[in-house]
Amino acid sequence: MKAVHYVNQFFAGLGGEDKAETPPTRLEGAVGPGRGLVAEGIEIVATIACGDDFFAEHEEEALATLLDYLEDESPDVLVAGPAFGSGRYGYACGTLAAAAAERGTPAVAAMHPENPGVDAAGKAYVVPTAVNVAGMRDALPRLARLAAALAEGRELGPPEEEGYLPRGLRRNYFAEKTGAERAIDLLLGKLAGETRTEVGGGLDRVEPPAAVPELSEALVALVTEAGCVPQGNPDRLQSVRAQGWFRYDLDGEDTLAAARYESVHGGFDVTLANEDPNRLVPLDTARELEREGRIGRLHEAFYTTTGNGTPVVTSTRFGREIAGELREAGVGAVLLSGT
Amino acid sequence: MAWELASFPADLLPDQIEVEGAEVEIVRPGEPVRVTHVLDAVEPRIRPDGRAAFPTEPPAGEGRTHRLDGVVILSCLDFAAEERPLHEQESIVDLAGPGAGYTHFADETCVAVTFHAPDGARNEEVEADARMQTLALAERLASATLEAEPQHVDSFELRDVGGDLPRVAALIQLSDLGPLYYQFVYGTPAGEAGLPRAIDPAELLDGAVASGEYHWAAMRNPTLFFQRNSLVRSLYREHGQRVNFAGVVLMRGYEQSADDKQRAAQAAVERAREIRADGVIITTDAGGNSHTDVMLTCRACEQAGIRTTVVLAEETDPESTRPILTDWVPEADSIVSTGNVEELVEEWKPERVLGGDTLLDGTDAANAGPIPVRNYLGAANQMGQLALGARTE
Repeated sequence: MKAVHYVNQFFAGLGGEDKAETPPTRLEGAVGPGRGLVAEGIEIVATIACGDDFFAEHEEEALATLLDYLEDESPDVLVAGPAFGSGRYGYACGTLAAAAAERGTPAVAAMHPENPGVDAAGKAYVVPTAVNVAGMRDALPRLARLAAALAEGRELGPPEEEGYLPRGLRRNYFAEKTGAERAIDLLLGKLAGETRTEVGGGLDRVEPPAAVPELSEALVALVTEAGCVPQGNPDRLQSVRAQGWFRYDLDGEDTLAAARYESVHGGFDVTLANEDPNRLVPLDTARELEREGRIGRLHEAFYTTTGNGTPVVTSTRFGREIAGELREAGVGAVLLSGT
Repeated sequence: MAWELASFPADLLPDQIEVEGAEVEIVRPGEPVRVTHVLDAVEPRIRPDGRAAFPTEPPAGEGRTHRLDGVVILSCLDFAAEERPLHEQESIVDLAGPGAGYTHFADETCVAVTFHAPDGARNEEVEADARMQTLALAERLASATLEAEPQHVDSFELRDVGGDLPRVAALIQLSDLGPLYYQFVYGTPAGEAGLPRAIDPAELLDGAVASGEYHWAAMRNPTLFFQRNSLVRSLYREHGQRVNFAGVVLMRGYEQSADDKQRAAQAAVERAREIRADGVIITTDAGGNSHTDVMLTCRACEQAGIRTTVVLAEETDPESTRPILTDWVPEADSIVSTGNVEELVEEWKPERVLGGDTLLDGTDAANAGPIPVRNYLGAANQMGQLALGARTE
């Protein structure tokens, strides 16, 4: 088992706050708290370190160098911290661990649960610690245990069993009771004044934007999740669970002719929609508004995807990507047709 | 009202079963079989008094009904006519291997009936024919019980319980998104069945509700899940223990306008009030739009002072650290998760495939690689029939 350990300038023994501008550096073997990890059976082949200020102020550069170091060693696991309650150090630990995990190196950081670095850690694991360095002795064995499990490639159990903070990934499991029995337990608990839930709520609320100040001068685009595509679906847009979105030139047309367009949406009966595709993407009406001068000009292309069974995270990405292109094209307003 | 359900052993099942125009295979527990294109799962039932086991008019849940214990009919059909959802939404039951954990049919004797769509027939006609034949077969197979002695008899009756146990009701949502996407109440599509309405809980267990809903397989509620409804049976069991079972309200899922959704949510509250519920468990059928109906019903109940627990499945990217439900209201502070349908189930190679050799996406059913939970029939069903759940890791 090979581990690489990340620490800040202080724990690397390079100096205190006055050395916080130290750029990334690579040290042989274990240093500082790393020695405690070695005592717990972790073989540390290299320690990589960076000043907290340097990381905060030159994140991209610092991260790139640290990842290069990591790639050179190709360890079985990256261990970062413990950073305790230190925000800058914790952020660096979390960010580096997340980047390593993204690149396929199992990674674990350690810090106080309220350290902002926890949010930065993404899919990497975070072992909770006390708020200050007095918690070192307690933290190292737990950190070492999780690091060893990750290095071995063992499938980890739930957070409370393995001693890491929940990462926010939803994983299926087989409960001891049926969902119905669990529902009765939850409801009786709630009626007795103890409300619990198996899944948290929360939604991305989309606030309606302010009205477009001069619609008669705006470049307006048509965007839809109705699965409207050129006849024959040349790009094979999915009927459900879309994997992407497409942009189709309107070629200056005044209407979406039934002979040229169709809907491949799998969530509703498309018969009426296909009789007249303008019912999904109202090009005919938009052209009228354009002629009447009520909108400035219609954007030359429309954007389409299928909104059906797509995870919210994926649709959010589609939205960002489409909005990015529209913004670049100077589009000031969008007519978004949903189904 | 009292209803008796008499259970008879699976060995009363004949060795040879024939259904006109369909192939029938009997699969014994543990056989390495994958069943594909599954429409519905039905438990063989019959009434010795000659009334229909799946009646098209009330009453159900009275007198006596016979069941074959540990037997399930799986009806399978590959639709021929163009209907995209049906071509995408594969429905699988694995009777062994890792997928067997996502069904409770693996321990049972399965009668797999594969129907065929005649050339040129409309999907609705083909579906209706398969559904009626399957329900008829359920009665035919159970007829062997008429001359036999039951193993045991369960009695369902809501006797008055004193004390101040909380009055708990089940609000059960039934989809109606049109043909191929609706549940039936006494043979009538849910949207035309005068929902929401309160029924005797025994009616639900006794064939008053049958499935004709073929959305995402994992989030379906096949007929058998009503016949053996875990929620209603658990509430009967808890009646007089921890709860005073106030009854069942059937509600429609997929109300089609914002006004209709609000109105239906309010009407469900009225029904819950009429049966004097202190708390309700709200179950969900299928996904998307129907989750909004559930959330609005939850909100309306809470605003009326009726406490709620909601049962639903998650559709979350397993690699995302931002789980977000399809819809949510702040009042929904007590939710049972019946699992994340986006997770993959480990690869398994069955020795035999029934229902159809090719999955709807064109892959070989015997060698399909990992399959998402969403394609396993009823795996994350939102009445809480199974033990699957999801948790944050």
